Order: sequence, then structure tokens, then C-alpha cells
Amino acid sequence: MTTKDIGPKNPVAQVGDGVVDYVENRTGAKTGISWFLFRNVPKETSWFQTLGFAAMAVFGLQAVTGIVLAMYYKPSSDTAYQSIQHITHEVTFGWLVRGMHKWGATAMIVLVFLHMGRVFLFGSYKYPRELTWVTGSILLILTMFMGLTGYLLVWDEKAYWATVVAMNITASAPILGPYVADIMRAGPDMGPDTLSRFYSIHMLVIPGGILTFVGLHLFLVAKLGISEPPWSKRSYKARYDQEAAERAAARERVPAGRREVTADPAPQTVNAGGDQ
Amino acid sequence: MKKAQQEAYKRDYAQAKAEGKPFFPYAIYKDHIVAILCFAWIIGMAIWHRVEIGRPIYEATTDFVPRPEWYFFFLFELLKIFKGENFLTPVIMATFIVPNVLMALLVLTPFIDRTPERRLEKRPFAMAVAMIIFTSLAWLTYKGATSEAASGALTFEPQDDNTELAAKVIAANGCQSCHVIGAGGGNLGPNLNTIGNQKRGVQWHIDHLKAPSSKVPGSPMPPFASLSEPDLKALATVLDGLGTTYQVK
Repeated sequence: MTTKDIGPKNPVAQVGDGVVDYVENRTGAKTGISWFLFRNVPKETSWFQTLGFAAMAVFGLQAVTGIVLAMYYKPSSDTAYQSIQHITHEVTFGWLVRGMHKWGATAMIVLVFLHMGRVFLFGSYKYPRELTWVTGSILLILTMFMGLTGYLLVWDEKAYWATVVAMNITASAPILGPYVADIMRAGPDMGPDTLSRFYSIHMLVIPGGILTFVGLHLFLVAKLGISEPPWSKRSYKARYDQEAAERAAARERVPAGRREVTADPAPQTVNAGGDQ
Repeated sequence: MKKAQQEAYKRDYAQAKAEGKPFFPYAIYKDHIVAILCFAWIIGMAIWHRVEIGRPIYEATTDFVPRPEWYFFFLFELLKIFKGENFLTPVIMATFIVPNVLMALLVLTPFIDRTPERRLEKRPFAMAVAMIIFTSLAWLTYKGATSEAASGALTFEPQDDNTELAAKVIAANGCQSCHVIGAGGGNLGPNLNTIGNQKRGVQWHIDHLKAPSSKVPGSPMPPFASLSEPDLKALATVLDGLGTTYQVK
């Protein structure tokens, strides 16, 4: 009789373990995923620190609804308007998918800005997370361009004239402005090529950029860790302890750091500014 | 930030992490709750506000004022502030300088503010700058959202080939988003109803349309050099006669 832990497992579990081991051996995926999922984060994270994930999740939703829309959308100046009408009025739940894509764009812009505000107010962009902020601000700009290019694809009056004005504004920028506008419009005027160009930018170029920077951003977030809210109880206590140690060292005229602090006399009885 | 401060932060954060808890499931469950709420809001809005489609593009539209999506309202409103009327309000501020300065500030924030302090109450300057930028953007967006979309169909009196073509060109290029022509239009540029009284000549108007800043230094108006010669000529003729030969009916 063998005991349960070391005896042969059921064959399905054995195959499963074998596959996991095979992949782990060759990629380190198991180690990587466990590192990502089970890394410690500070105990007192705030609900405001969920906005980045929400923005990413909404981007995922935009990708899914966008793929569905792309199955019905026909990016040509002759057919775009009709295909949007077809999606809105004839395709089963087409109105819902298109509505979700439109409101998802609004939600994503709002979430990205709120997330930026949170990071700013928490001071989370400071050392060592400067480059996480840089990748994040690039993502914000890419998100705005997503809105700009997606707007035209509806190819109705509002979309068309708003883009004409946006391109005129671009063209009025000094030095590079006219060239950038010509590149965006595929020529000096808005035309059929402008639509397919915006379609390609909206579907391929910017999503590629967003995916790349989300990857970098996430990697940095995981590597550097989620920042702790600056008013966490732990940091107040740590700061209090530090100051107490410095005061004690000053009393004994020993440089701070040289004196061994064994126990702090009364940190629990003093309200150190937190709501403990 | 000094080396010692960086070390101190790393030590402090290592402490926080050591006393912390695993990302899965303790942090990620919050993330999912908020994400699901966002999804619910999106689906709710999609059902509540059925998305519609505007009219098809029609080159001769005469009653349409283009407006961007709400998240570009602040840029749109900036154009109304920086009209290029005098040296304090060059149009380049709205089209180029302000947006690019904002983007540069955004990207460079962590390199401008390098102090280790993270508590809000100890960062009055950062808070003031953030509040000023946030309030201005919110105010401009609000202004953009509430600004009235003006205009009605344009017909000129007397009618001829020039006015017919000019009405199309005016509509196609969104002139009325900045100029009052007839009863409606934007307040970004000058009112054009009596522009003909200035007797500048057709050629002046053609040159001005092609490159506004060559005639009116610092003009906020984008160049319309891509218009065809007949379009330019018709528009310039009507403009030169507006208020004298031609009237907006």
C-alpha cells in the first residue's frame, strides 16, 4: 500500500503535470506566472488603484467589439455609411455592439484620465516609477488618437466635417504641420484614401502601439510593485519610528543610524496622524 | 532625488511589500469588481442611449457646424480664445503651442518633480499646478459642450453661379464654425456679412484664403490653399461683394 501523496496520481493529473513541466522546462512560464500573480503588494492598497486595470479591461472590450464591427464594416467611401447603417439597423445586436464600442471609447478616455489623476495625487510617478509614468502618458496620447481616428470611420456628416477641421488645424502647425496633415489625409484633401488610411491607423497602427506600451507598462508595474498610498498606516508608523529613532539618537549625541533601536517606547499610544 | 533618498524609499517599500499580501487574489479582486462595474455602465449606456448615425456626407451641406467628440472640446474652445486678434492671442497658441506644451508636461512630469515627498499636503506647488490644469480643461470642455451649434441654410441675393458655388464651398469647409455668415455661425473669426464694405478686391481674398497669415499677420485661420481655382474665385467674389453686391438672404 502506498500513501496518497507519493503514489501514482490519476492519469489525467499525470498528463496535466507532464504538460506543465514540459512548458515550464522550456519557457519558465509557470515561474513567471506565479511570480506575477503571487508577488506581494502592500497591504493597504486603495480602491482608486483599480482604475488602470479597468482602463485595460475596457481596452480589451474595445478590441472585442471592434473585431465584431470590423466583420461588417466596409472601409470605402462608397460603402462605409451603408455598412454602419446595416450594423445599426439590421445585424442582430449590431446596435448593441456599436453602442458598446462608442460608449467604451468614452469610458476608456475617462478611465485613462482618472487613472492619471490617481497616479499624480498619490505621487506614484516618483522614483523608481518614472518610466512607468512615461509609458502611461504615451498610452494616454495613443488613446486620444484612437478617438480621433475612430470618429471618422462612421463617415457621416459630423465625422467628416469634424475631421476636416482637425486636419486643417494640424496643417496650420509650423514646419511639419502641412506634411503631417498631408500624410494623415493621404493628399491635400479628404477623400476615399483618407478613410482607408484612418481605418488602417485605427485598426492596426494604434492598437499595436497600445499593446506594446500596455505590455511595457504592466511589466514595470509588476516589477516595481504597486505603490503604497502615501497616507497608509504603515508608512505613518514607519515615519514615526524613524523620527523617534532620530530624536533618541540626538538625545544621546550619537549619529542617527549608529544607535541600535531595540524597542520603541510608545508608538501605539500616540496618534501619528493616521486613523488608527 | 538623492541616492540616499532612493535607498530609503526602496527600503521602505520592501518593508511594505514584506508586510503585504499576494496580488492574487487580494488586489486583483478589487480590479475585477471595478472593471465589471465599468462594463455594466458601458452596456447600460449602449442600451439607454441608442447609438445613431448622422446624415450622409453631402458636399453642398449648408447648415452644418462641425463639432468634435467631447474629449476634444477643450482644444476646440482654445481656438475661440486664441483668435489671433492681437499679439497676445496668436492662433498658433491653440493649434500648436498649448497642446504640445501639455503633452510635454505630461510626459516629463516625473523629471520635473523629483522630490521624494508623496503626501498631498506636502506638495502644494504640484497640487496648485494640477488644480489649475484640471480646472481649465474641465471649464473648456464645459464651454465646448454648451456652445450653441448655429446656422441655417445659406442663400445669397442676388443668386448667380458664384453664390451657388460659394455656398457649397462655405459649407464644405465649415466656414461657419468660426464666422458668422447670415444669421448664424461661430464667434471665432470676424463676422463676414459686411466684409465686402472693406473693398479689398477679389485677388486680396484669394490670396488671403490661400495663406491667411500673409495678409493678416498672426491670423488664426487655417489656409485653404487646397481649394480649386474656380472655388477660390467664386468664394472671393462673393466675399468681396458681401454687404454691397450680395446679401445673405
